[in-house]
Amino acid sequence: MKRDRKDSVDTGAGIKGTAPKRQGRRDFLIKTGGILAAGAFGAVPLRGWAADPVNIGALYPTTGSMAQIGVGCVAAAKLAVEMVNDAGGIKSLGGAKLNLIISDVQSDTTVTRTETDRLITGNKLSAIHGCFASALTLIASEVAERAKVPIITGSSSDQLNKGRTYTFTPFARASQFAKAQLQMAKLVSDTPKVAVIFENTAFGTSTSNGLKELAPGEGVEIVMFEPYSAGFTDASPLINKVKSSGANALFSVSYLNDLILIVRTVKQVGLNIAINGGSGGFVIPDFYKNVGKLAEGLQGVAHWNHDMNPDCEKVNAEYRKRTGEFLFEYAGGLVAQTFMIAHALERAGSADPQKVREALSALDVSSGYAAMAPGGKVKFGPDGKNVYGRPVGVQWQNGDLASVFPKEDARAPLLKT
Amino acid sequence: MWETVAQAVINGLLIGGIYALVSIGVTLIFGVVKIVNFAQGEFVMIGMYISFFLSSQFGIDPLASLLVTMPVLFVMGVLVQHFLIRRVLGPNDMPQIFLTFALSLLLLNLALMLFTANYRTVHTSYSDEAFHIAGLYIPVAKLIAFVVAMLLSGALWVFLHTTDLGKAMRAAAQNRDVATLMGINPNRVFCVALGIALALAGAAGSLLMPFYSAYPFVGQVFVLMAFVAVVLGTLGNVMGALIASLMMGIAESLGIQYVGADSGLIVVFAMLLLTLAFKPTGLGGGRVR
Repeated sequence: MKRDRKDSVDTGAGIKGTAPKRQGRRDFLIKTGGILAAGAFGAVPLRGWAADPVNIGALYPTTGSMAQIGVGCVAAAKLAVEMVNDAGGIKSLGGAKLNLIISDVQSDTTVTRTETDRLITGNKLSAIHGCFASALTLIASEVAERAKVPIITGSSSDQLNKGRTYTFTPFARASQFAKAQLQMAKLVSDTPKVAVIFENTAFGTSTSNGLKELAPGEGVEIVMFEPYSAGFTDASPLINKVKSSGANALFSVSYLNDLILIVRTVKQVGLNIAINGGSGGFVIPDFYKNVGKLAEGLQGVAHWNHDMNPDCEKVNAEYRKRTGEFLFEYAGGLVAQTFMIAHALERAGSADPQKVREALSALDVSSGYAAMAPGGKVKFGPDGKNVYGRPVGVQWQNGDLASVFPKEDARAPLLKT
Repeated sequence: MWETVAQAVINGLLIGGIYALVSIGVTLIFGVVKIVNFAQGEFVMIGMYISFFLSSQFGIDPLASLLVTMPVLFVMGVLVQHFLIRRVLGPNDMPQIFLTFALSLLLLNLALMLFTANYRTVHTSYSDEAFHIAGLYIPVAKLIAFVVAMLLSGALWVFLHTTDLGKAMRAAAQNRDVATLMGINPNRVFCVALGIALALAGAAGSLLMPFYSAYPFVGQVFVLMAFVAVVLGTLGNVMGALIASLMMGIAESLGIQYVGADSGLIVVFAMLLLTLAFKPTGLGGGRVR
């Protein structure tokens, strides 16, 4: 199962597993027999009885350290393509079906480069979406740019908007997340006093510095700014410090295990403080599974959430039926991306990647599945950024992730712990 | 002001109790069998997973699961001594180091394979509770862990000083050859020592479970502190390891409070280096007490 490229669509069957090249005797007989029989009746429009499918590449890590999320992404990608095809495919191309070609980038930057290359050279692609982790997407985007195939991604790195013409990012950028987090603090209190604690490696340091820089502009006071070493045994001394800082909101830039300790200790101390855990591993179903009831009331930020509008909820319901879990931000975002590609194909009236790029850059939607983004509008600027892009503030409520910020996207009031 | 200090000391003391259980195990094995058990942390991890599964599958409270983890780990200790360590005891230290190190890697990777790297937590009714007294708070789960840890340490001390087997163990630690001449069966004594040490590691695992997450690498976090405590409290000295563990917990906590949250360990290691510079044998003196 290492290099699996599965034809997942035409029939709707064969979603799992078999290599595309091998045909059984039965398949062979059905196909050849059908053509022979049709020939016998003398009525074979060889082309046109079904339009050529349009190939869409999907690059996701379905093995390796990021596999858990990658597998969810693939499930969502298949769902999205089925939705487009069931609705009649691309009408301007004679009802052409989308054909999803999935490639496993194995959570590895080197593999991402070769797999993207292989995917593009080995197939006639109209567009690509992927790869979830910014580090991987940056590389896939480079390869796609050179091959002049449009790539659309939910990855948040601001790098992706620099000097690229075939890369499209319909969702909030990394720099916007910190801002949203700070604004959420103002929901908690009119005079937000924030304690920022972060694990002392690159991830924690860069994220927390972003918060620190933006805080004065947002009118948020940072009363404590403290690195800690990840994997500590006891969060009490740290929370002791937070307590004496007089903060009323706590931003914790942490890995999961530390965050669990921190949340638990805050409860024990009896400290009444709103905790915001940011994005990433914090807003996926696994987080609640691991943390349980302790997660209730925790806040975070996401680039997509499943309750933002009725369309999102519809897709979420179908995804939940298939996987048993709610549609998490990245998977939900890529369903929207698939519809953006379909929208572009429809207007381009061509499967040519150059023409699809032109159509994508002219995309301007405010309704339908393609507009499933916080704010409900997608229009790409010259840098490939959605000019309306913004993150959505979320909170764990009753085991579900509820949108609580900003007001236009909020589906539940923020619970003040 | 005094509240902050007192709170830091309480926090340190409580986590120090857990360090003590791990380090007493290490020091007991070193004192009696004269090998360094690098796998001690992995046995804590095993204890945690046993408690986790008993709790998630059968609803057994992690504290009650002490009654399972300690005997299971005791048997494991006896087996490890009898089938593995006994084979490499000899004049050369290297095979012993490699053996316990390999055991550590083996257990760690087995856990990764069987349980994945996910964090597992157990939620008990007292997990988030705390006693609040005069502006200070004492988390219930940690207090229980501390009290049980001290009771177990006390029981071990009584065992070493009042029973024949305990005395034989101390004798074997002081001079193996003479002890053998006096009719003490070293392998039997070593088996019991390993059993007790691992049972303590298992106990640490069960006691941690109400307030700490289990994951394959969890042992590494605690074993580092344990090794420092063992050296600080004099290798092989049970009482020394206990006191050093508590001191380290307090030093770490005060370090986080007053130096910085990423420098807690700096204070601990500074303490270790200073002690070794001025008292190279550690704080506990040279004998197994």
